[in-house]
Amino acid sequence: MAEEAKFKCLRCGHEYTDTYTPGVPQERTCPKCTSNSVRRMKEK
Amino acid sequence: MMDVGRHPKIELLTYSEIENVTGYIGNFHVNVRKKARYVDEDACTACEKCAEVCPVVAFDEHQLGLASRKAIYIPFPQSVPASYLINMEDCLGTNPIACGKCLEVCDPKCIDYDEKDSIIELDVGVIIVATGMDVIDPTVLDEYHYTEFENVMTSWEFEILTGPGYVTGSELLRPTDRKVPKSIGFIQCVGSRDDKRGHPYCSNICCMNTVKDTLYLKEHYPDMECYVYYMDIRTFGKQYEDLYKRSKEMGVRYIRGIPGDVEEDPETKNVIVAVENTTTGKLEHHELDMLVLSVGVEPRVETADIQKILTLSKAPDGFLAESHYQLNPIDSPTGGIFLAGCCESPKDVKGSVTQASGAAARAERLLSQRRVKVEAITSEIDPDLCTSCGICVKVCPYKAIRIEKKKAPAEVIEAACKGCGTCAAECKFGAITMKHFTDDQILSMIDAMLEEKPEEKICTFACNWCSYAGADLAGLSRIQYPPNARIIRTMCSGRVDEKFIWYAFQKGAPVVLVSGCHFVDCHYIDANRWTQKRIEKIWDKLEQKGIRPERLQLEWCSAAEAKRWQSIMRAAENLRKTVSKQEIEETIRILSNGDKPKTKAKAEAKGKKKPKVTAASSE
Amino acid sequence: MVEDERRIGVFVCECGINISATVDCDEVTEYARTLPDVVFSIKNRYTCAEPGQEEIKRFIKEENLNRVVVASCTPRMHEPTFRQCCADAGLNPYLFEMANIREHCSWVHHDRKEATKKAKDTIKLAVARARKLESQEELTVPVTQAALVVGGGIAGMQASLDLADAGYQVYLVEKEPTIGGLMSYINKIFPTMD
Ligand SMILES: [Zn+2]
Repeated sequence: MAEEAKFKCLRCGHEYTDTYTPGVPQERTCPKCTSNSVRRMKEK
Repeated sequence: MMDVGRHPKIELLTYSEIENVTGYIGNFHVNVRKKARYVDEDACTACEKCAEVCPVVAFDEHQLGLASRKAIYIPFPQSVPASYLINMEDCLGTNPIACGKCLEVCDPKCIDYDEKDSIIELDVGVIIVATGMDVIDPTVLDEYHYTEFENVMTSWEFEILTGPGYVTGSELLRPTDRKVPKSIGFIQCVGSRDDKRGHPYCSNICCMNTVKDTLYLKEHYPDMECYVYYMDIRTFGKQYEDLYKRSKEMGVRYIRGIPGDVEEDPETKNVIVAVENTTTGKLEHHELDMLVLSVGVEPRVETADIQKILTLSKAPDGFLAESHYQLNPIDSPTGGIFLAGCCESPKDVKGSVTQASGAAARAERLLSQRRVKVEAITSEIDPDLCTSCGICVKVCPYKAIRIEKKKAPAEVIEAACKGCGTCAAECKFGAITMKHFTDDQILSMIDAMLEEKPEEKICTFACNWCSYAGADLAGLSRIQYPPNARIIRTMCSGRVDEKFIWYAFQKGAPVVLVSGCHFVDCHYIDANRWTQKRIEKIWDKLEQKGIRPERLQLEWCSAAEAKRWQSIMRAAENLRKTVSKQEIEETIRILSNGDKPKTKAKAEAKGKKKPKVTAASSE
Repeated sequence: MVEDERRIGVFVCECGINISATVDCDEVTEYARTLPDVVFSIKNRYTCAEPGQEEIKRFIKEENLNRVVVASCTPRMHEPTFRQCCADAGLNPYLFEMANIREHCSWVHHDRKEATKKAKDTIKLAVARARKLESQEELTVPVTQAALVVGGGIAGMQASLDLADAGYQVYLVEKEPTIGGLMSYINKIFPTMD
């Protein structure tokens, strides 16, 4: 099941919300700088 | 079709499905389930007596439900094999009290109600996948009141209505009043070229199919008014443009504009189409007797099963992916398996036949060699270090590793291994050696790279097929970028072991860049999914250790993206400039202490080993 | 490592002026000789050309080389060429390594000093790897003389007929009770309309 999560680009620092499905890897591209170094931020 | 049925070298297994395939190039072992037909296909003479007495009336799949068939039936008159079969879901019952009528009338005595499915085992050297495509299910989209208005139908239903096999002969009669329609419209691109409804791609065949249908109509019913509503008419094939011209000359009206909606006249059941003619900019209303939706095509649902069984890759549109778009369009990424026809992409008949002959030639090339050489870049498992944990079996995209018995060490089937190295990177016990890309070889390169002035260098891993090739293309195109990256080539980014990354940071690398193929391009099916998972884990660990996670960059770059490679290089260099000597020294200090991450990671709670920063045994 | 001594030869290609325009090939060749286990290095105009390849073969024998590094273009282009060249000289082709100083260096950097520095490092990495290379044997496996065709539509039928006509045993597996596929639904086929 898809869930919403916060993502952060490790190239430009851009933060955004997107859906993800736990356990299913998905290619992610920063909408701002096109980097693939996009990290899912875990809730604190 | 008859030729196929008769050929002495072809064994036809109809009503059969592939259950399982093991093995590798040149040596596949296949299990096929042959479903029970309840009629002996060799003995059946297709005399039709059984169907005459069968009391069941069922939906005829082959006529898309526009006609009916019996529970014992032949799909269509020219079926190969020319044999009846019983659909047991429709059949009333096989004991004589329930029915059993067909058995009584069958002269060759070929009906056997107790027949069971059988499993047939085959050994083959090559496999050609020709699983075809499907037509978009019109009820799912339900565009233009398809399920509501009887005189709205799909192009495939239209095909049945005008086909020779249909009950009305070859006369086209509209469903509501069984009269020959005086006017007809075709709406193009239903379910195609639309991101929201249906599929984003062009289905390739629908334009020409509609042109063909209008020619057929104009030949048989010269006075019938024909309208085609379209976005673009695509007639790129040989002689196709001529047919399109002929259709226009015969009076078919092509209107550039897709109707927004249609209405039905409750009395006449005519369909009223409102369309903005974008050529004239005017709104037009056409009252039509019949409306045909030119529906697109899509990958078969079963494609996913075949993909799994044969470890093939799928393109983003759901069709099977070829090994290389231009240079190897017929081979699948798995050795010894070839693609033919619409399973690879929507095609017309000529395209399918051409590709099929190509696939046969590619297969024959392999068969005629009798022996096949396999690359020596394969993995090797040390049975003494293997704990049979099974992670390698799980990550191998080619099912090339097996654990025969519980607790027995894993074994590599050398001929099936493609050499991505993901198993070696994921093995927690150092039991797997990737030949020609060993830990020792790669760690030695990191040593050599960072021996002098490590702060100036970007430790870059690039996969052979995409990112390394993308960098090659940047060179070929003379695209300039900063000179600080030092590249270590691996076959797949899946090979990039966690310990390489830790070792590079420990040796003073300011930035480590791991690059590979975009998910759809991965040369090893889905090995780079593991790269991503691994990098995500390392980001977390870096953060826990107090090292900036962004110093580890992950980028996908295809062989065609030279410009992208330039931007990746620039971004990495900008990042490198932000890493001071002090920061590097601090990192080295943190990693040399070999201290555990401050907070407990989930992996450790489960008792897994922490990433060991082993000094390379390079000296 | 069982071998007692590693003897690496480095062949630096100028590629006409493709490499030498931005990389100081003399300096690089000199530098290569200082790397561990390198016993020989030489500069060629075109290493991939016949004379260049002959030189590799000659020096493998004369200098008793047991590892070869060619610093030139991308391995994606000429690795098979040079592997074959090594094999011709009696060296296991897996003891060959390439350093890409053209696509990844001379063609993408204008600055001669920086490009030369990068070329040196690239060769250093290649030599480090070459020191650890081991001979590999390629496996050959027999090919079962039969084909499986999955799907009895127009493509599957055509492929089956082609292979069967060539004399191979073909198993054609079709999910439906008859072959024919989607084609059997179609009335007329464009463009010939039959
Ligand atoms: Zn970004």
